Amino acid sequence: MIMDRLARALDDRLRLSPVTRRALAKVFPDHWSFMLGELALYSFVALILTGVYLTFFFDASSADRVYQGSYAPLDGSTTSAAYASVVRLSWDVRAGLLIRQTHHWASLVFLAAIVLHLARIFFTGAFRKPRELNWLIGVTMLTLALANGFTGYSMPDDLLSGLGLRIITSVVESIPLVGTWLAALALGGEFPSDAMIPRMFVTHVLLVPAVLVALISLHLGILVRQKHTQFPGPGRTEHNVVGSRLWPSYTLRSLALFAWVLAVLFALGGLAQINPVWLYGPFEPAQSTSPAQPDWYVAWGDGALRLFPPWEFRIGGYLVPAPFFPGVVLGGLAFLALYLWPFAERLRTRDRRQHHLLDRPRDHPVRIGVGVAALTFFAVLVVAAGDDVLARLLGVPVYDLLYLFRILVLALPILTGAVAFLTARALRRGEAASLGDLTRADLRRAGRPSRRPSRRDDEPETPAPDRPGERIELWPEGEVWRWRYRDEARRLVLTANRVAVSEEEAVEAARLAYPGVDRVVVPGPPAPSPPGPVRAALRRWGRAAAAGSLLVAALVERRRDRRRQRDGDEGDPREKADAAPRGGEPR
Amino acid sequence: MRRPRAVTLPALYPRRALVVGSVLALALGPVALAPAPDPTPTPSATTPAGDRGAQLYLEQCASCHGVRGQGSQQGPSLVGVGPAAVDFQLSTGRMPVSREVSQARRREPVFSADDISALVDHVASFGGGGPRIPRVASGDVVSGRDLFAANCAPCHGAAGSGAVLTNGWSAPPLYDASATQVAEAVRVGPGLMPAFPGQVLTDQQVDDLTSYVRRLRTERLDPGGNPLGRLGPLAEGLLAWLAVLVLLVAGVRWLGRRAAE
Repeated sequence: MIMDRLARALDDRLRLSPVTRRALAKVFPDHWSFMLGELALYSFVALILTGVYLTFFFDASSADRVYQGSYAPLDGSTTSAAYASVVRLSWDVRAGLLIRQTHHWASLVFLAAIVLHLARIFFTGAFRKPRELNWLIGVTMLTLALANGFTGYSMPDDLLSGLGLRIITSVVESIPLVGTWLAALALGGEFPSDAMIPRMFVTHVLLVPAVLVALISLHLGILVRQKHTQFPGPGRTEHNVVGSRLWPSYTLRSLALFAWVLAVLFALGGLAQINPVWLYGPFEPAQSTSPAQPDWYVAWGDGALRLFPPWEFRIGGYLVPAPFFPGVVLGGLAFLALYLWPFAERLRTRDRRQHHLLDRPRDHPVRIGVGVAALTFFAVLVVAAGDDVLARLLGVPVYDLLYLFRILVLALPILTGAVAFLTARALRRGEAASLGDLTRADLRRAGRPSRRPSRRDDEPETPAPDRPGERIELWPEGEVWRWRYRDEARRLVLTANRVAVSEEEAVEAARLAYPGVDRVVVPGPPAPSPPGPVRAALRRWGRAAAAGSLLVAALVERRRDRRRQRDGDEGDPREKADAAPRGGEPR
Repeated sequence: MRRPRAVTLPALYPRRALVVGSVLALALGPVALAPAPDPTPTPSATTPAGDRGAQLYLEQCASCHGVRGQGSQQGPSLVGVGPAAVDFQLSTGRMPVSREVSQARRREPVFSADDISALVDHVASFGGGGPRIPRVASGDVVSGRDLFAANCAPCHGAAGSGAVLTNGWSAPPLYDASATQVAEAVRVGPGLMPAFPGQVLTDQQVDDLTSYVRRLRTERLDPGGNPLGRLGPLAEGLLAWLAVLVLLVAGVRWLGRRAAE
């Protein structure tokens, strides 16, 4: 009631209803993989919610501070204010540990969701024209997320993260010519500088999140403007979007996902301990701890530093130190390749058309081969960063593992890339619908040199003029017109979500989406189709079976009760217990 | 494959059949550097008949360490290692070993407490002195944490979860060690570990250290939930990926399937 009046008052002043009506009727295609980006979005929301709470208690300063609190081994110790405040947050602030751990878990999940989303976009070719801009924004957000993850991990000033910061500083210093200047500029002096924690704090809570929020808004704005891509399928063309409306179905589904993401993150934060900085102790330049790894999303850099041989040489009198290649060049090349991929692919395929229908991953064997090889390469690097942990757990000498990983990081990507390439080609050439349907003949054919694919996916926007069983049905509904697409052969009905004010407009919209399909005017909105015969029968049988089993269970229980009562009347329970294992032996 | 001598063993220790006559580990690294044994044993070290320690020593240890503890090709000399070293190796189950291994692992001790003290006495009778078994009192955990971070964390890890060293060696986790065993290891320096004699760490400091290591064992230091073996960020990353794939992506798939209906 109040909401009603409020809404009306707002509408009177701002004239929101046309905009809102259009926005609420916006259609998003339904496919589970389109919600991976939402996982990242909701993890980011969780990060902001928990992060705000943490800022109330975190003291971003490297000044000396005496910790006094309930963590006995540090009680009365003098540490940096940042470290002392994190230990206080973990041990003495109500709900502080839960929120801190949830924040950290959310960051790990955030990055994982971004990687999954990126892989989905990459393998389905969603970065093609006109969506290159959104790809660039997305890759930029990945770099920002990595940077923010690392500053957040380093800010508590504990021993473990201090080692990581020391390594990153060395990597920056290894850039020839400018490295030492850059490092000194960023830290405001030599490595454990006083300015380092306040600077990381401002970057972590203000600068990067603000840019991220702006980029996310832009990302989603472009998505709404360009409309979401969809997989090819019956009734789906380059000119329409088939799916659920924003309100109510998509909104509710998305809110459910938000609630689920929060639930999982808080469950992790409450049940699994992460980054126990009180155990690691405050950072002292002279101390170290082992095993030492960074969080998983930067561990590939650590792994590369471990695997790369200690080669250094001079160019024009300037030393190029060993960490330069694995630390700077590898990451730089990887992100350069990510940024340039859409343009490189367009250059290669000379495809300048707009694409709103997605590729199936199998449609581009080269793309899937390269993508799988790159993912394998980085996965091996991440695992290699844990070589010391693995060596201890497996009881293997760590140098043996190091050599193994050096071989794997070169060989495994080639292997997995080739397998992915051949599988995609076999799937594309053969008639198999999924991986499970692949036959050996398909695979053998995939190995042979390529012939031009005989059957190109026929363009959905130019269908045959009279396809049997397909038609557009229009009907008036009050003063407006509605239309829907019906395909008898596939038992498919798609109703347009946008109403048209006149018959002409409805005809025009239908012609745009389904050119060449016959149009008929039908009397009115048809009744919702009854459930199929199989489902109806299943439901009926299910109900009957449930009722029957309940009845049987009740009867069995009653009978057992009665027998127990009778046995109890008959004699000594001990005797009965003795007799029981012997079964029906007559006594 | 059993040797005939195994038949005479007490039934209490059936596995000794494998142990007898086997080679000893190099786990007593610094011990190998100990001065060569005195070629003429003192008469006071003659074994009295029926002495439990002597009997056990001859059965379990002598084949590698020599009858008089002088050492052999398979095992280092035990003269001058000190009671602390013998007690540490036996009470953590690292000795005796059934075959030559580079680093013996911790396990259930083979001998009872009485047998261990008898063996300690017997090995002490070879002479040479060495660190005594430390008496541990409770100390100050704050000072202990400082000492631990400065001296122990580089190898055993700041969380005491252990870490790998070179050449297939590793610094073991400290969670199973008793206070006495920690103090013995500090004084003796088994394996690659350096010894910390009284000039480096006072008795009070060793007490502080052992109190902190004992504190590290308790679950009260893991208020955040399951510690994931205190293995650090990669174990956490693995769990995060599991949660993403098993819970979140599955949730997304379920929602997507609902939408398609």
